[in-house]
Amino acid sequence: MLSIKNLNKTYHTEEGDEVAALSDINLDVADKEFVCFIGPSGCGKTTLLRITAGLEKPDSGTLTVNNVPITGPGPDRGMVFQEYSLFPWRTVLKNVTFSLELKKIPKREREKISREFLELVGLSKFADSYPHELSGGMKQRVAIARALVNDPDLLLMDEPFGAVDAQTRNRLQHELLNIWEKKKKTVLFITHSVDEAVFLADTVVVFTARPGRIKEVISIDLPRPRERTSFEANAFREHLLATLGAEIQAAID
Amino acid sequence: MIIQPLKIIAAILITGIILVSGCTSTPVQNGDEPTGLTELRFGYQPSTHQIAYMAADAKGWWLEDLEPYGITSTKDYLFPTGAPEMLAMLAGEIDVAYVGSTPPLSAIDQGLEAKIVAGVQTQGSDIVLANDLPYESPQDLVGLKIATFPPGTLQDTVLRKWLLDNDIDPKEDLSIISMTSSGAAKTALASGNVDAIFLPHPHPTVAESEGYGKVVVQSGEMWADHACCVVLVSQKLIDEHPEIVEQIIRTHIKATQYIIDNPDEAARIFSNKITAVPYDVSSQSIQDWDGEWVSDPNIELATALEYAKVQYDLGYTDKLLTQDDLFDLSFYNKVIAEMDEE
Amino acid sequence: MVQSMDIRRRILEITSIASAIIIWEIIARIINKKYILPSFTEVVTAFLELVSGGELYRDILTSLNFFAIGMGVAIAVGIPLGIMMGWFKTIDKAVDPIIEMIRPIPPLAWIPFAILWFGLTQYAAGFVIFVGAVFPILVNTYTGFRNTPRVLVESGKVLGCIKNRDLIFRIALPAALPSIATGVRVGMGVGWMCVVAAEMFGVSTYGIGWKIWHWNDLHHMDMVLTYMLVLGLIALVIDRLFRYIVQEWWLKWQTGVVV
Ligand SMILES: Nc1ncnc2c1ncn2[C@@H]1O[C@H](COP(=O)(O)OP(=O)(O)OP(=O)(O)O)[C@@H](O)[C@H]1O
Ligand SMILES: [Mg+2]
Repeated sequence: MLSIKNLNKTYHTEEGDEVAALSDINLDVADKEFVCFIGPSGCGKTTLLRITAGLEKPDSGTLTVNNVPITGPGPDRGMVFQEYSLFPWRTVLKNVTFSLELKKIPKREREKISREFLELVGLSKFADSYPHELSGGMKQRVAIARALVNDPDLLLMDEPFGAVDAQTRNRLQHELLNIWEKKKKTVLFITHSVDEAVFLADTVVVFTARPGRIKEVISIDLPRPRERTSFEANAFREHLLATLGAEIQAAID
Repeated sequence: MIIQPLKIIAAILITGIILVSGCTSTPVQNGDEPTGLTELRFGYQPSTHQIAYMAADAKGWWLEDLEPYGITSTKDYLFPTGAPEMLAMLAGEIDVAYVGSTPPLSAIDQGLEAKIVAGVQTQGSDIVLANDLPYESPQDLVGLKIATFPPGTLQDTVLRKWLLDNDIDPKEDLSIISMTSSGAAKTALASGNVDAIFLPHPHPTVAESEGYGKVVVQSGEMWADHACCVVLVSQKLIDEHPEIVEQIIRTHIKATQYIIDNPDEAARIFSNKITAVPYDVSSQSIQDWDGEWVSDPNIELATALEYAKVQYDLGYTDKLLTQDDLFDLSFYNKVIAEMDEE
Repeated sequence: MVQSMDIRRRILEITSIASAIIIWEIIARIINKKYILPSFTEVVTAFLELVSGGELYRDILTSLNFFAIGMGVAIAVGIPLGIMMGWFKTIDKAVDPIIEMIRPIPPLAWIPFAILWFGLTQYAAGFVIFVGAVFPILVNTYTGFRNTPRVLVESGKVLGCIKNRDLIFRIALPAALPSIATGVRVGMGVGWMCVVAAEMFGVSTYGIGWKIWHWNDLHHMDMVLTYMLVLGLIALVIDRLFRYIVQEWWLKWQTGVVV
């Protein structure tokens, strides 16, 4: 579905320094696959996601989605940002209808569709609230609904639950899996949490410290719904932690 | 009715009273002390009307004549029109003002303590019309924009009365645009923003010489022998130093006679003081104007009282001012009587 | 609890205004010279006369007319130009030096050219007000656009909002609205201050500013003070009205008072 070949990316800062962010990335993601990216801070995960979204251009290498090269942002890819990204001047409902407005879908219809997606993320009651009236977790759920309403094939999520408390986070993970099962999207999901990766992913991609390379691709072939504390899950966790630990140590050195 | 409760509350606010009396008591005391006056402050305007002041100044007569009375220096302030000059006098910044005979009216009405003690000149303002406009009678001005000094000034008063005398409503039939300086008015004429200007000399001649327009009416035709500038002195000076006031009048009479006898010299003195107007222009102005330098306030008395009536009718003054409010002729009459004896 | 706090604040406000008036009255009575400081009662009397004579309305309408012309053009020029400069770097680089040259010139310095370009018309007065009002609007619009959070623009892009026009009107403009509202509000304050100067050079024989000069020329300081207070009062009303409209309609989505 998504195919990344020989991708390199170096940033040029305003002071003239060069920051090598990604080096020689090769990755194939299957249709409907749930992929988690994990790696030390600053290794280029966000960069890779942004390039996939079309917000950034790689220096070299090719990216294709369903065999179509990526040249810029497109409706086939939706993104949920790490920061809160709702339009504060729009109500929750209007945030969700945004992409449908651009597609010139009649008001009635787009609101009907949007309400379905709000239902999906459990926020029907807040349709007419403004973002500043929502909690952090609720904001990210709206952001997910807003991305999904555009019906993308590929959903890109950059630590969407990074800023919410542990309990909410568990709930949101459940909800996300529910949605993913219902809507059958391909998901690229960045996380810092090994637990999260093991709970969510079909495949976990571990990155090396900067410049980011793919260190290991691990299939989490556990049946769903998963038990967070099962013996197999623990085994994956320990493995991931060991791999990551070495990289984080490398990043600090 | 509103005042009574206010007073009661005021009494309660002791702090306020202490604060206020603390601020104001000092100047009051100062004012009561008799002063040994050493400096005299004059106000005047950049007009050929008031060359008498400039001549006495240029010749050094003010200092020379007033020195026996303890005056060691004089200071003068130049004002674009009479209105700010009167404001300065209200603020106590000026002792003697050469000024049109109307600006003192509203100032005295509003509490200025000062009296007219001598005349300066009569007539001497012209309407200058844009070159391309015809003029045969006042009716030709209907629909035009005429710039002059602000309401309350002599020019504004004379112009309005003249228009009314000719059945032209100054509010409806044309627009009178008030300008705070002669420069602004001339610029407005030059740029076509107004069609005519009505200003005291030398400005009409200046405007003509620069080619902005032509003189079509002289103010003597609008109101024969109308009063123009006067010498106004503060009541404080009259009360505390009557001898100085007398000497000011003597010097003023001398200077007036001098410029009447020597118009060329008068023009030279004016151009030396008001450098923006070259000698040939001020000389031309003195040749062309219909003004007359005088020093006798009695000549200006009648029209000045008419102005008072006009301003009262316009609502510019709260009360109808009388001769006693405006004039103190005793000084001039005494000086003349003494001169006659000699 | 909240109510009693409110009442106490009101009482404090009223007391402070009342004592200011009383002190004013006392000072005026002690000085006892109308032309140095007219008393409160004299000003109230003058005000009531003006209201009953109907002249005040004409003055207010005249001034508001100049103000509306100046503000209208300032908004029509300031916001679009601020948008262009905030969004397109090349336009910013080209226009910014010119703006920085003109901006420090006080509005009053433009009066001679206002007369030469627009004659003694309402547009000349409007122009002076425009000069005063346009820069705060321009600069705040520009800043608002410059500070559009990047994540909002990128969210828009990812959701299919790609064209500059769409990005400007659907994302940057609404995001910049609080800043633009501040600019308009500051601009209105400066513009209103320019009214006094704009009416000084004889574009009309009505208007609050003109009447201040008129009565000053005639030394009626009670009238001068009355018109000064009217000037201040109207500024206050305009400001409150604007704030209300902005908060109730425009920026309802904002938390707390930002404007
Ligand atoms: N616009 C940019 N200009 C210059 N350098 C950049 C830019 N964006 C990112 N970088 C650098 O590129 C590297 C990779 O950044 P990226 O944000 O992709 O890391 P990350 O893996 O997402 O880190 P984190 O886990 O902390 O979010 C970092 O060193 C970062 O400083
Ligand atoms: Mg990141």
